[in-house]
Amino acid sequence: MNVRRVLVLARRVIRQVLRDRRTVGLLFLAPMLVLALGAILFRADPVRFPLGVVNEDLGSPTLAGKMVLADGIVEEMGAGDTFDLVTLAPTEIEDRLRDGTVQAVLVFPEGFSAGFLANRQAELDLRLEGSNPTRSMAIRARVTEAAMKSLAGLLAGGMGVSGAAQAGSGASSLPVTVKASYLFAGEEFDTMDFVAPVYIGFLALFFVFLLTCVSFLRERSLGTMERLLATPARRVEIVLGYMGGLGLFALVQVGVILFFTVWVLKIHYLGSLGLVFLVIALLAVVGVSLGILASTFARNEFQVVQFIPIIIIPQALLGGLFWAVEEMPGYLQPFAYMMPITYANWALRDVMLKGWGLAEIWPNLLILLGFAALLIALGSLTMRREVA
Amino acid sequence: MSAVVETQDLHKHFGPIRAVDGLSLSVQAGEVYGMLGPNGSGKTTLIRLLVGLLKPTSGEVSILGQSMPAKEILARVGYMTQASSLYEDLTVRENVAFFGEMCGGVSRGQVDEAIALVDLADRAGSLVRTVSGGMRQRTSLACAVVHRPQLLLLDEPTVGIDPQLRATFWSYFRRLAASGTTLIISSHAIDEAERCDRLGFVRQGKLLAEGPAEELRVGAGAATLEEAFLRYAEGGVR
Repeated sequence: MNVRRVLVLARRVIRQVLRDRRTVGLLFLAPMLVLALGAILFRADPVRFPLGVVNEDLGSPTLAGKMVLADGIVEEMGAGDTFDLVTLAPTEIEDRLRDGTVQAVLVFPEGFSAGFLANRQAELDLRLEGSNPTRSMAIRARVTEAAMKSLAGLLAGGMGVSGAAQAGSGASSLPVTVKASYLFAGEEFDTMDFVAPVYIGFLALFFVFLLTCVSFLRERSLGTMERLLATPARRVEIVLGYMGGLGLFALVQVGVILFFTVWVLKIHYLGSLGLVFLVIALLAVVGVSLGILASTFARNEFQVVQFIPIIIIPQALLGGLFWAVEEMPGYLQPFAYMMPITYANWALRDVMLKGWGLAEIWPNLLILLGFAALLIALGSLTMRREVA
Repeated sequence: MSAVVETQDLHKHFGPIRAVDGLSLSVQAGEVYGMLGPNGSGKTTLIRLLVGLLKPTSGEVSILGQSMPAKEILARVGYMTQASSLYEDLTVRENVAFFGEMCGGVSRGQVDEAIALVDLADRAGSLVRTVSGGMRQRTSLACAVVHRPQLLLLDEPTVGIDPQLRATFWSYFRRLAASGTTLIISSHAIDEAERCDRLGFVRQGKLLAEGPAEELRVGAGAATLEEAFLRYAEGGVR
């Protein structure tokens, strides 16, 4: 082995990398960007959930006077920084859950206090919005916790309900149970069911983006783009032609992914798979246009790979894949709104978790179409740069 | 005779570099016009200006009576780039057919004819990736002529091909010209330039002199065309 040759070769490699300034910059900046985003999202203060309360508890007379146990529980729940309480009338429950202004509603019937004192058993009637299983579980846990704490305090105070206190101290927990009902999705939906719709969309976008970016780049580096532009073909025709060709593969891919997630991984879903397919197809169209636009700014395949940390990963982090956009810190939300994937995610979740149809999700589809049109226009415009 | 290609005081500057510097050109129908000049003299830039791939810094280009850039006119123009610009994972035939279709559509017969002209009929089904450099060059030429253009722009078409193939190319060029096609051929090879009807000496983006090879040689009082070029370049003539 000749050490000198190794060193000469190493020097050549270093020189080449240094000459590609963008690579050098990204080498350091991209990991920091991705790490910072992750840190912000993981460390973000948990958001306060808007929780509706329907309190019809009439209370119950005890030795210490009339007691309304529901009031105590509500007070306990309002004290923490988990919930923003909203007092609702029973007739409002479904509408408020549907429009998302409350995430859950806790209903105390007239006989709540009386029932607890008689049976030493509190059953909480919790109505959940349900489309985010993780959130549903969190709400459920916190509601239970608050109720236990409130009732424990009550019993510890020995306010004439000593029987319950004895029963409670013996058991590992107070006899509080939650009877949960779900407006959307349901108890059987887990985190995978929440992530899956978006996962499918994201993967489609990702692969179509890379495929387009590299094909377009190759067209340029082989000089065929130059030849193509010296024919009557217009730039927008070239972009649309690519969309037709690569779009076909994107659609087949989407079909396969859908089949796999639904029939092999057996995720739970509601709504129409046809509509899911339509949303993802739209997202694939966006992916092709984004790829064409991005390829203009890449000189080689290496620079295409660099788009992953700066274009793809932020879309995964900010587009609502794991964190719902509404739960992100406020200053990150505008970035989420700038990303096409966010709208696809909303549409996909509305269909697969809420069972919604075209009538409800069309605004998101329209925005996706808008993104596609804008990107096609930008891609055609920047193609001038193709010819170097 | 009408001018098929006409430029008026054409300039193309890339920053401080004047790639094309006040060039006025007029090429007639059926003419084989040669652009002779060293590497970096602005020949390629000029051709790219002619097909509208570049926007002139100032000046005008008109092709077949149409002021450029005009996309539709390109259906009547053939363009062969310096490096063969082909789709590596398509066959020779698929490449030729594709570029023909992009220029307004061609028949099967036209594709076959173009491939036969460059003598590639037996390799028509081979992937471009698998054929030799000379075959690529020939495929490239077939792509440029398949739609039977009225104007053919060839950027150093015979660079890197063997003398035999070069002779084939030239006999083909002459046949095209005889049938009324106008050809503009750039080259830095003197021997090749002599085969053109008319020659333009290009240097530093300027047209030094223009005329039939023999006229240029005699005009410069030189023994060879090469010598003539050098004399014009030094500004020793006129």
